[in-house]
Amino acid sequence: MSENNNINIVLAGQGNTGKSAVFNYLTGLHQHIGNWAGKTIEKSEGTLFYKGNTIDVLDLPGIYSFTTYSVEEIISREYIINQKPDFVINVIDSTNLERNLIFTIQLLELECPVILDLNMIDLSRKKGITINTEKINEIFNTPVIPTVASRGSGISEILDKVIELKGKKTSHPIHPYGKEIENCIGQLSESLCDVDLPYPARWVAIKLLEKDKDIVNLIEKEYPEIRKKSKQLCKSLEEIHGHDSSIVIADERSLLAFRITREITTIKRKKISLNERLDAITTNKATGYLLMTIILGGMFLSVFTFGNWFSGLLDGMFKEWHAWWNNIIGVTTLASLGWAAIESIFALFQIAFPYILPFYIILYLLEDWGYIARISFLMDQFMHKMGIHGKACVPFIIGFGCNVPGCLACRIMETKRERFITAVLVTLVPCSAISVIIFGLVGKYVGVWWALGLYLFAVILIFIAGKISSKLLMGEPVELIMPMPDYKTPHLRTILFQTWDALKEFVFIAAPIVIISGVLIHAIDLAGWMPAIASVLSPVTVTWLGLPAITGILLVFGILRKELILVMLAAYLGTTSFANVLTPQQMITLAVVSMFYVPCVATISVLWKEYGWKKAMIVCFVEIVLAILLAGIVKRLLDFVFS
Amino acid sequence: MFTHLHKYHHRRRWELDSESNLQLTDLEEGQTGIILEIEGGRHSSKRLADLGLAIGVEITMITPSFFSGPVQISVCGSKLVLGRGLASKILIEPNERKQ
Repeated sequence: MSENNNINIVLAGQGNTGKSAVFNYLTGLHQHIGNWAGKTIEKSEGTLFYKGNTIDVLDLPGIYSFTTYSVEEIISREYIINQKPDFVINVIDSTNLERNLIFTIQLLELECPVILDLNMIDLSRKKGITINTEKINEIFNTPVIPTVASRGSGISEILDKVIELKGKKTSHPIHPYGKEIENCIGQLSESLCDVDLPYPARWVAIKLLEKDKDIVNLIEKEYPEIRKKSKQLCKSLEEIHGHDSSIVIADERSLLAFRITREITTIKRKKISLNERLDAITTNKATGYLLMTIILGGMFLSVFTFGNWFSGLLDGMFKEWHAWWNNIIGVTTLASLGWAAIESIFALFQIAFPYILPFYIILYLLEDWGYIARISFLMDQFMHKMGIHGKACVPFIIGFGCNVPGCLACRIMETKRERFITAVLVTLVPCSAISVIIFGLVGKYVGVWWALGLYLFAVILIFIAGKISSKLLMGEPVELIMPMPDYKTPHLRTILFQTWDALKEFVFIAAPIVIISGVLIHAIDLAGWMPAIASVLSPVTVTWLGLPAITGILLVFGILRKELILVMLAAYLGTTSFANVLTPQQMITLAVVSMFYVPCVATISVLWKEYGWKKAMIVCFVEIVLAILLAGIVKRLLDFVFS
Repeated sequence: MFTHLHKYHHRRRWELDSESNLQLTDLEEGQTGIILEIEGGRHSSKRLADLGLAIGVEITMITPSFFSGPVQISVCGSKLVLGRGLASKILIEPNERKQ
């Protein structure tokens, strides 16, 4: 594949090994994210120039094996086999060496050129683990390079190695399984010898014994007699071991990883570290929940205090600019449409910088530190009642910033069913735009406790919606299986990269839709159709919800961006002191409708992209009906309370 | 810390009826045990094996389940969180109580 100065490398490894940190360090900002054809799994690619060589880097998704249980796993192995990269860099978390080696053994079975990257070597030293790299080299016959990717140390050594070994033939010694298994593998590989497959014979033999769906189907179709033989061999293995043959092999592999780990590491047990004590406190049933409340509460409070101040500052600035625009361009229809576009951009800035940016910086700080995994642990049981599990906390918390990256983060859930349930629930999470309404309207004029009450209301509603949707969507709930990361010092570069990644989704997915529809709705306004819309909607807004008729217009605008509801309310009522024009009941009712009535266009587009238009439309329809119904009931209850 | 015990590895299914066997969820904090059997589908067994949870492996309970929540265990020198339902499908032979 490789021509003179072109080298093609792939990063592979389990989740949480610092693979992305290696990737980011290698490619800097020259990365481009694409999708695998027909799948919604992102691939990150980048190119770098190093010592006269052009090196293409691809970051494979973090996976735990190469058996076809998930799309990521199939994609990864097909890529390695079909694209034949010059090198596969196996990024290993040195603090979890044994678990990572289980993956390494499988990677070596694919018989591709592998370079081992012992990442986070500093942390494993801190844990008192010494790793003998020469010994690893001896065992696997692969180059071994210790790195600390977050600081970039060791990365250039990888590149040097890649250049040094380019074009040289490498072979890795076979790591034998137990006698019976090797016997079966031997028999199968023999019959696979003169069969024309893109895969190595030994690997196919192992996969047949592991009953890998894709490989079994392939062999069944092309070479039924080999499939028959593998069936017999699986059966004989199962008779000897008393377990399914796939489990037998997996067990043997982890035993192998254990043996190798023992050979290559020496451990000096250190006294209980601060981090371990911290771990005990944060996952304890008494202190864990208390700390979680304090940490998350503090996070929201500080973000929204900062956001309100900063957003006010920007607001003053933009108002001045509008006056300049009118002076310079003049007040024509076209100019006013142009201003609508610019105003949409400003409004996006006003949400992105004061709220979403600090929110994500703190969120990813907590994640990099290792705290988000503890929240998943603490919340698992609660999530389980909604038919999903603890990992769903991550999209939920992201959703408080913006629903768009929140919905996209649902990809961390294992099955389609869980992904969809989580995404639907994320659309009910009050994003920062909705929080602006809650605090700017209810918090300011009715009372902070009422505002907090609305959040509680949202949590209860999400819980009930989760219960209902997990009942409606048939399927086995998946149990939580999550590696618990150690606490580590957060690394600024990593945090900023992740923040940018989440913010990018907001900027590139949400922004274009918001700007285009902003201009469109402004055009409708200029055409003078708004009063008509208001009167069409008045049976709902006035009769059922007891709100002023103009709220109908606001709710139409609100589909674009929820915080527009507040902005336009001020514009239409001609005042920002809402207490003069709205009763407390009306403010709370309006806040409730705004919270739930429909996901914003940007979120709808993500739902559409990820789950198809039918499901996206159903979600919108159900939420509109639900919000109107709920708000009406809330209004009647409030009338009772306030009278 | 890395404590697979070879002699347990080829334990057969018919050796599983001893009364000392417990579910993983029965382990107390700090207690260790050897995995004897993982019940449940091939899918979840395979996923667990990829994370080092295989038959014959020693595991240590770090945080037992509370409020019917998940358990936190240590296996292969790594920490792992397992949902309670899944944890109760893992049968183990407990080692002696250690403090």
